[in-house]
Amino acid sequence: MTVIDIPFRVDEICKKYDKYDIEKQREQNAYGDDQFARLYGTFESEIDSAFEKSERAAFEQNRAVSVALNAEIRRTKARLVAELPKLQKLAHKKVKGLSKDDLIARGDLVLALQERIESIPDGTSGGAKQSAGGLSTSAPNNNHIKFDSSDGNFDADYFQQSEESGAFRREYEMHRMKQDEGLDVISEGLEQLKDLTHDMNEELDRQVPLMDEMEMKVDRATSELKNTNVRLKETLFKVRSTRNFLIDIILLCIILGTVSSDATRRQPKFFIPTLATKDGAFKSIIPFRHGCVMCQASYYPPQGHAADPIKFAALPW
Amino acid sequence: MSTSEPDKLMIKADKMTKLTLTRWNADWRGATDLYEQAAVAYRRANDYEKAKIAFEKASKGQEMLSSPWDAAKHMESAASLAKDLKKWNEVADFYRRASELYNECSRAQPASDALMKGARALEETAPEEAIKLYTDACVLLEEDGKEQMAFDLYRAATSLYIKLEKYNDAASFLLRLGLAADKCNATNSQCKAYLGAIIVYLYAHDIEQAEKCYNDCAEINAFQGSDQNRCAVKLLTAYSEADVEEIKRVAQSSTITHLDHAIIKLARKLPTGDVTARNEASKEQEEPLDENDLT
Repeated sequence: MTVIDIPFRVDEICKKYDKYDIEKQREQNAYGDDQFARLYGTFESEIDSAFEKSERAAFEQNRAVSVALNAEIRRTKARLVAELPKLQKLAHKKVKGLSKDDLIARGDLVLALQERIESIPDGTSGGAKQSAGGLSTSAPNNNHIKFDSSDGNFDADYFQQSEESGAFRREYEMHRMKQDEGLDVISEGLEQLKDLTHDMNEELDRQVPLMDEMEMKVDRATSELKNTNVRLKETLFKVRSTRNFLIDIILLCIILGTVSSDATRRQPKFFIPTLATKDGAFKSIIPFRHGCVMCQASYYPPQGHAADPIKFAALPW
Repeated sequence: MSTSEPDKLMIKADKMTKLTLTRWNADWRGATDLYEQAAVAYRRANDYEKAKIAFEKASKGQEMLSSPWDAAKHMESAASLAKDLKKWNEVADFYRRASELYNECSRAQPASDALMKGARALEETAPEEAIKLYTDACVLLEEDGKEQMAFDLYRAATSLYIKLEKYNDAASFLLRLGLAADKCNATNSQCKAYLGAIIVYLYAHDIEQAEKCYNDCAEINAFQGSDQNRCAVKLLTAYSEADVEEIKRVAQSSTITHLDHAIIKLARKLPTGDVTARNEASKEQEEPLDENDLT
C-alpha cells in the first residue's frame, strides 16, 4: 500500500465509523429540529472565526493582508447583522420541548449576539478602543478631538488611517524630491550639450566655404602640376634623343679626363702667385715653407710661421 | 665677422637701387633679394632695428616688382619686429600698409588678419587705435561677405570696450555682431549677442536702455523662441521687481555661463547700484496718471 492510499483508507474508515462518533452525532442531532439553535450555532462559529481573523489582522505586518482581512471581517459582520432579524423571528417561534423562560432567554441571547457581532474589531472600530486607552502612536490632540466633538469616533478613525497613509505620503514626497534633483542635474547637462552642439554647428557652417575654396585651389594646383609634368616629359624626351646623349657622354669623359690628369700631374710651382718685393726677391703671396721641419711636412704651414722672403731658386723643389 | 655680412648686403643693395650716372635703371630684383637676406641675417643676430629697416626696404622692392603679396608679407614681418621694439605707431602703420597690400591682391582674409594682429598688439598700449583696427577689419570681412570670420573680431572688440568701460559702444558692437550673425543664419550666436547687449546695458545701470534693447530684439523671430530670450525676460522682470536674489540666481544660470567671458564677469557683478529705485520711479510715473483719471 502506498502513502497516497493511506488517507483514502483513513477517510473510508472514518466514514464507516462515523455513527459511533458521539460528539458529531450530538452536534447534528442536537440542532436537528431546532432551527433557532442551528442558526445560533452557525452565528457563534462565524463570530469566533471573525474574532480569530481580527486577532490575526492585528498582528499582521503586511498592510495589504491586514486590509484584506479587515474587509472580510466587515463583510461577515454585515452579513450577520443582516441575518439577525431572521434569528430574532426564530427566537420568538415556539419550539416543542422548550420552556417559556428559555424563549425569553433566547431573545436575550439574540441581543447579546448582536452586541458581540458589533464588537468584532475590523480595523475601524479598533481605533475607538485604542484611543480610549490612550495609545502612544496617536497624537495627544486626538483625544481632544475625540472628547470635544461628537464625531470623535470618526475623527479618530480618520486620523488613524492617515497615520499609515501619512507615512506613505512622506515616502512619496521624498522619492519625488530625489527624482526632481536628478532631473535638474540631467537638464543642466543637456543645456550644456545643447550649447556646445550649437557652437559646433556654427563652426562647421563657417568651415564649409573655406573647404570649398581649398578644394578649388587644390584642383587648380593639381591640374597645373599635371600640365607641367607632361611638358617636362616632352622636353626630356627631346633632350634624351640618342645622338645628343652620346655626344654628352663623350664630352663628359673628356672633361673628367682632363680634370683628373691635371690633378695628378699638377706642379705647385705652376700655380704659385708671386709678388715683386722691394729688394728684388720674389715673395710668394701664399704663406709658405721656410725650411723648418713643420713647414716641410705640410703644404700649408701652421699659423704663426712668417713668410720669409725666400729666393725662388732656394726652394727645395 | 658675421654681423658685418648683412651690413655689406645692405650697402650693396642700396647701391643697386640708387640711380647714378652709371646706373639708369635700379635693379630691384637683385636688391630685393639682398634686402631679404640681410633682414633674415639681422633677425638671427637679434638686431631688430636693422632687421625692421631691411624688411621695409625688401617690401618696397617687392612692390616695385609688382608682387604685393610678398610686399605685404615683408611688411608684416617688419611690423612684428616693430612690436618687439615697442614702436607702437610704426606697428599700426606697418600693419595698415600690409593690409592695403593684401587688398591689392584682392585677398580680404589676410588683410583683415593683418589688421587683427595689429589690433591685438596694440590692445594694451593704444586701445583706441586697436579698436579702429578691429572695426576696419570687421568692415573688410563684411564687404567680402565673410561675416562669420568677423565674429571673433567683434567679440575681441567688445571685450576691449568693456575693459575701457565704454558700455554703450560695447553694446552697439554686440548688436552689430547680432546683425552679422543674422546674415549667416547663425541663430545661436545672434541670440547670445543680444543677451550680451542687454546684460551690458544692465551693468551700466541703464535699465530703460536695456528694456528698449530687449523690445527691439524681441521682434526678431530667432530670438523669440530661444533660451536667451527667456533668460532676458527673467532678468528684466527681476530688475523691475527689485528682487536682488532673483537677479543673482539668473546670473548664475547656465544660459549666461555660455556667453563670452567678459560678459559673464559683468553678469556675475549684477546688480550694480540701487535696484529699488526702478520701482519707485515707475510708481511716481503712475501716480500722476491716476490723478488725471480721477479728475
